[in-house]
Amino acid sequence: MSIVQLHHIRKVYDTKVAVEDLSFTIEPGTMFGLLGPNGSGKTSSIRMMIGITVPDSGSVSLFDRPFTRSVLGRVGYLPEERGLYKKMNVLDQLVFLGQLHGLSASVASRRASLWCERLDIVEAIPKKTEDLSKGMQQKIQFIAALLHDPDLILMDEPFSGLDPVNVFLLMNTLVDLCSIGKAVLFSTHRMDQVEKFCNSIALIHRGHLILSGSMREIKSSYPRNRVLIHFEGDDSFLHHPGIELLKRYNGHAEIKLRPSPTLADDAQSLLAQAIAHARVTRFEVMEPTLEEIFIEKVQQTLPTRNGGELSMAQLDQPNGGGLDA
Amino acid sequence: MHNVWLIARREYVERIRTRGFLITTLIIPLIMGGFIFGGAYLGSKSGSGAHIAIVSSDTRLALDLQTELQQPPDSLPHSASQPRIAVDAIHLAPQSAQATRSLLDRQLDSGRLDGYLWIAPADTPANAQPTRPTFTFTPRSSEQDSLRSTLAAALGAVLLRRQLAQRGILASDADSLLQPVDILAASAPHRQDRESAEVSITLLFVLMYMVIALYGMNVARSIIEEKTSRIFEVMLATIRPEEMMAGKILGVGSVGLTQVGIWLSAALLLSASSIASSLGSQGVHIALTAAQIVFFFVYFILGYAFYSSIAAALGAMTNSEHEVQQLNLFLVLPLFVCFLTLKSVLTYPDSAMARVLALIPPFTPLLMYLRVSLGHPTHAEIVASILLTSASIYAIVWVTSRIYRVGVLMYGKRPNLPELLRWLKYS
Repeated sequence: MSIVQLHHIRKVYDTKVAVEDLSFTIEPGTMFGLLGPNGSGKTSSIRMMIGITVPDSGSVSLFDRPFTRSVLGRVGYLPEERGLYKKMNVLDQLVFLGQLHGLSASVASRRASLWCERLDIVEAIPKKTEDLSKGMQQKIQFIAALLHDPDLILMDEPFSGLDPVNVFLLMNTLVDLCSIGKAVLFSTHRMDQVEKFCNSIALIHRGHLILSGSMREIKSSYPRNRVLIHFEGDDSFLHHPGIELLKRYNGHAEIKLRPSPTLADDAQSLLAQAIAHARVTRFEVMEPTLEEIFIEKVQQTLPTRNGGELSMAQLDQPNGGGLDA
Repeated sequence: MHNVWLIARREYVERIRTRGFLITTLIIPLIMGGFIFGGAYLGSKSGSGAHIAIVSSDTRLALDLQTELQQPPDSLPHSASQPRIAVDAIHLAPQSAQATRSLLDRQLDSGRLDGYLWIAPADTPANAQPTRPTFTFTPRSSEQDSLRSTLAAALGAVLLRRQLAQRGILASDADSLLQPVDILAASAPHRQDRESAEVSITLLFVLMYMVIALYGMNVARSIIEEKTSRIFEVMLATIRPEEMMAGKILGVGSVGLTQVGIWLSAALLLSASSIASSLGSQGVHIALTAAQIVFFFVYFILGYAFYSSIAAALGAMTNSEHEVQQLNLFLVLPLFVCFLTLKSVLTYPDSAMARVLALIPPFTPLLMYLRVSLGHPTHAEIVASILLTSASIYAIVWVTSRIYRVGVLMYGKRPNLPELLRWLKYS
């Protein structure tokens, strides 16, 4: 059984193609990362999953059946554009949203209190929404999406604007839900978050799916040609012939090794040289990061204008942030 | 349906609870009451106790006029309601004319006098027939201008009596000659109906206009609020835009009805109480049949729902309160057009024009109600009017929900007409 099944969906707004030929599946108990820069079609795809908009072509199945509005009671949705009734008291608001999802007032009220305890915002319960901080409002909305115990949880950029402590708290909550069999999809342009938590991903760029599958499979299909080295002292070992690309930072370097059948040996000889010249505090050989994979894939599928190296910063719209946080 | 109820209830409860609701509920009747009672008070004050001076070299004429003004013949039936006028008669000595005039002017300024009548003797040659003197009335302000006609009538009577006396007619005979003719007002058999219908249609119009002006925009505002707070996306993930629109109209609408209900019952209580009668207001007796009352409510609610749903459409099309204010015209204009045709429908409630207009939804609530009260619409026409209006409310809500759904998902500028039409095709 799969919770979500997108089959070649396509959506065009006037002249702009938002989503083109997108297909993927989400299984129960999966933490699914929907990745892509801003404006790549993440929100449009999520909206089509829950019938806010209807795809121009292709089909959407939820819980193994073609989409109908009757399943919406089993879906929890946190939109990217947060919104709550500002003047409304927090508990009333949660109860109201719970009732819209089919809960009775008493059940909704009990669960709302429990969730507020769990997310550490009990003091917010009697307050008006507009009196809360932005982070607290976001948590309230997070609760609103989960109050009716949905089987499919869709979170559009759930952690944007939150401090690390709260990101950790919400992320762990999602992981817990995942472990009891709920399917969680969250969209983000933060590759590091996905790398840490997701076991399945879909990468989209300009409405096109460019990579999807389980995290482990994707990673293992790439050679371990990245080296991270922290060191003190002489850096002449960085002229090693096996190095294709080098980024020097203060006290450490990121290295991409030249593709060769003896990749593992190259890494070892690099380490030997480094030890001979400098004091090494850390040396790690790894697969490319998700960000690097993404950039590589985009360069392969879509010719870029300047032909140069593409970075997340270029893909993002101005306030995107990318990986630099 | 459950969702519509939830939305409507939230909207209603949240709005009723606000301080704004309490304040408008109290303040508006106070202001209106203030106008009515204040106006009545001022009216009673300026109507009675006018104080004027009559300046004349002909002392007899001045005294006669004083008597005439201060003691209107009690044979006149409306004498009781005539304002009593205090009159000072001042003898005019030719040498002190200037001084007298400036003294009177000062008294006018200080408010001790409401006006003075200056009677200047005509310059007549000694042997010629005496001509009338010239009469000049100087009121303190234009408000006292009405005194002029009272003065003219009194002067006319005094001069006529004097001439009659010169021709040897006894004063008592003169009085009976001068007896005015009274025409008593009698009522035509259906006059009462017409009057009460006119009163109730005016009431309906004022209520509808007021409620739409006050609350129609609230529906639009509430929809815009949903857009700016961006909560719509959570809502649309669970409910249909139609349900949302219907809930908004019902919820915000009921707030308006509640407030009007409070005002109306307060007004009824007030008019039944002694306060109103002690003010001597000519109480309007609205003699309505039960059917008329039922139709009043039916058409009021239909009209209210119709205009609210138009307001909802305006709200769905726009992104800010400022924009929706510019479109307010669309809300008030049909009502105003309706008001323009009111007179002719009132006179000929069963004319072809009235029959057609009363079936056009924006006009139905007022005009059909008028026809029901005064004319003889067929049962089919009444049923058709109710069905047509209900159907158009449904259609407006449907179209609005389409505009809303697409509009909120495509943020930004106000759509133009082709875009709106295209949106209707989207789902």
